[in-house]
Amino acid sequence: MAQQSGRYSYYEETRALEVTDRPRKFLEAFAAVLEHSSYGIALDAYARVGAKCSRCAASCQLYQATGDPRDIPCRRSELLLRVYRRYFTYGGMLRARLFADFALDDAAIDRMAEEFYRCTACRRCKLTCPFGVDHGLVTHLARYLLAEVGVVPKALVVSVREQLAGVGNTSGIPAAALRDTCEFLHDELQETYGADVPFPIDVEGAEHVFFPAVSDYLLEPDTLMGNAAVMHVTGGSWTIGTGNFDGINYGLFYSDRMMERICKRVGAEVRRLKGRKVLVGECGHATRSAWLLPNFLGADAPPAVAFLQYTYRALAAGKIPLKREKIAERLTYHDPCNLARAGRITEEPREILQAISAEYVEMTPNRSENYCCGGGGGTVSIDEIRAFRTRKMGKAKADQIRATGAKLVVAPCANCKKQLKEVCEDNGLEDVRVVGLHDLLLKCIDFGAAGGKGKE
Amino acid sequence: MDAWLDWARGPAFVFSFVFLLLGLLRHVALTAWEVAHVWRRAGDRKLPLGKLLRATLLWLVPFTRLRHRFWFGLTSLVFHVCILVVPVFLAGHVALWARGLGLSWPAIPNAVADALTLLAVVTAVLLLGQRVFSRATRSLSRVQDFALPPLVAVPFATGFLMMHPGWNPFDFQATFFVHVMSANLLFVLTPLTKLSHMILMPSTQLVAELAWHWPVDSGSAVGRALGKEGEPV
Repeated sequence: MAQQSGRYSYYEETRALEVTDRPRKFLEAFAAVLEHSSYGIALDAYARVGAKCSRCAASCQLYQATGDPRDIPCRRSELLLRVYRRYFTYGGMLRARLFADFALDDAAIDRMAEEFYRCTACRRCKLTCPFGVDHGLVTHLARYLLAEVGVVPKALVVSVREQLAGVGNTSGIPAAALRDTCEFLHDELQETYGADVPFPIDVEGAEHVFFPAVSDYLLEPDTLMGNAAVMHVTGGSWTIGTGNFDGINYGLFYSDRMMERICKRVGAEVRRLKGRKVLVGECGHATRSAWLLPNFLGADAPPAVAFLQYTYRALAAGKIPLKREKIAERLTYHDPCNLARAGRITEEPREILQAISAEYVEMTPNRSENYCCGGGGGTVSIDEIRAFRTRKMGKAKADQIRATGAKLVVAPCANCKKQLKEVCEDNGLEDVRVVGLHDLLLKCIDFGAAGGKGKE
Repeated sequence: MDAWLDWARGPAFVFSFVFLLLGLLRHVALTAWEVAHVWRRAGDRKLPLGKLLRATLLWLVPFTRLRHRFWFGLTSLVFHVCILVVPVFLAGHVALWARGLGLSWPAIPNAVADALTLLAVVTAVLLLGQRVFSRATRSLSRVQDFALPPLVAVPFATGFLMMHPGWNPFDFQATFFVHVMSANLLFVLTPLTKLSHMILMPSTQLVAELAWHWPVDSGSAVGRALGKEGEPV
């Protein structure tokens, strides 16, 4: 910081005078995490083979948007890899003694805090790295370590606190309000479609225990009604548990310790209700967290079923009767990174949409090479950075949507939906509607043919 | 000069080549041990083996992977093919192995070797050029990233001059010495630098997947180690 006193200005190293405990705590956490997790194997390989070819720069939507070299995935990951190399490899320790190499200080931690939260951990760069370096994993780990020294976006902590130490879910919905909401949704379905669609609550022994993103109860009732309608017409065995009805797991975005606690609550609720499977609503990160359940609960963890997969199988088996008229508007599909990047769920939603839509178009690139909505990695819940999220990170997505000419964008993910709505608002796409997949499916289900008492 | 050359082709070569083999073996052993260790502790032992194998093969033979950064990808691919084929299948080298260890395999015609050698040198220069002139790549690069492509080109350039003594402005013995010693240097550097990817490459996809497979209760174990079990969220 430059100081002015009389004729001479001088430069004061405020950073050097400030001594904090964070670097030591960061390294302690790093050591503990390396010992008790499996990140070491990847860091070790990445620290050895990284070729610095910058092919990842060509695929990173953040770097494409900002053009700032610090946003190149390989360069960002180096911020953590150099800490690993310096403090946890013999070569690094030797180098440090010989050449006064890099040392972890507060400035380095601040830099990591900034840059690892610019990345949305969409993992698109992994596909273009010759060595398959998973920069998303490095971001994930760096955020975990930063959280151990107290650096976490407030929005994420507040949600997790509400879930683990508050009412029990990230939206703070009490069980009584849940019952009311379900009753309301039931009545709504009765009124609009004339179908008596149950919302089973606390039914013991059901095959599926339902965990949507809990915010759907507040923001996306159509998605939930679609979910319930599918279970109804397919005769699926399912229940909503009042003990825990939240699939959201923001631990995935900043701390494995929190992720474990949230996953264990999911496991406990399934056990309490004597259910067999975890049925995850339309939500990317909730699905991915559910896929990670065996990491925390071991081999006997309840298997996770994504709702899209359930619906697709039922549709393919002819269990979902559809009306003859299809959705007339041109529509396109956004692949949530957490579902599609590793190629796990890409075709199911397309099959469903093609069955119910008159004009389905693809955005490019798509499937595992899709662009992130721009709000991945939990950044969507940070309202303070909306301009960055929508105009910089979200620009690629807005251009993609514009190029399709579609007026309906289907995004089966609560986070993507919120972000895409804001992206459309901020990029001159006000006439585009962002919806969930089951919202649309609901409109096309033929309740009459399903044996319900339909109006039509 | 003859004594120097004998030293370079004799003890220096044996040392560097053994160093290379042992160094690479160490990488393989460490990786295998780590993989086994992680898998043994993992709560989730199901791996998408088909996908991993596919990704690994796609990158080992990356002809379909040229879409992003096409010219860089192509240069890199040609470079790798040349530097792998020529040293192993050059008739002169095959003869050396046959004489030294009694091992023998088919050789490529010298004219093909000449072409590939020149390509190796040209692509090495191009790779360096792309690194220097691309802002993104330059901003990432370490010393070894700038130094290795020209260093790899040295044994190829000198090898070409040895094959065509008429065009060689330098002393043959001196060229020979530089040829052998630069190769020796590369052998020693391989296990120590990013060149180790020549052996680690097939394991990187598996390693990236395994890193997501943690032991059961890894989170609470970290919490205990840091004395944070009872800490509020």
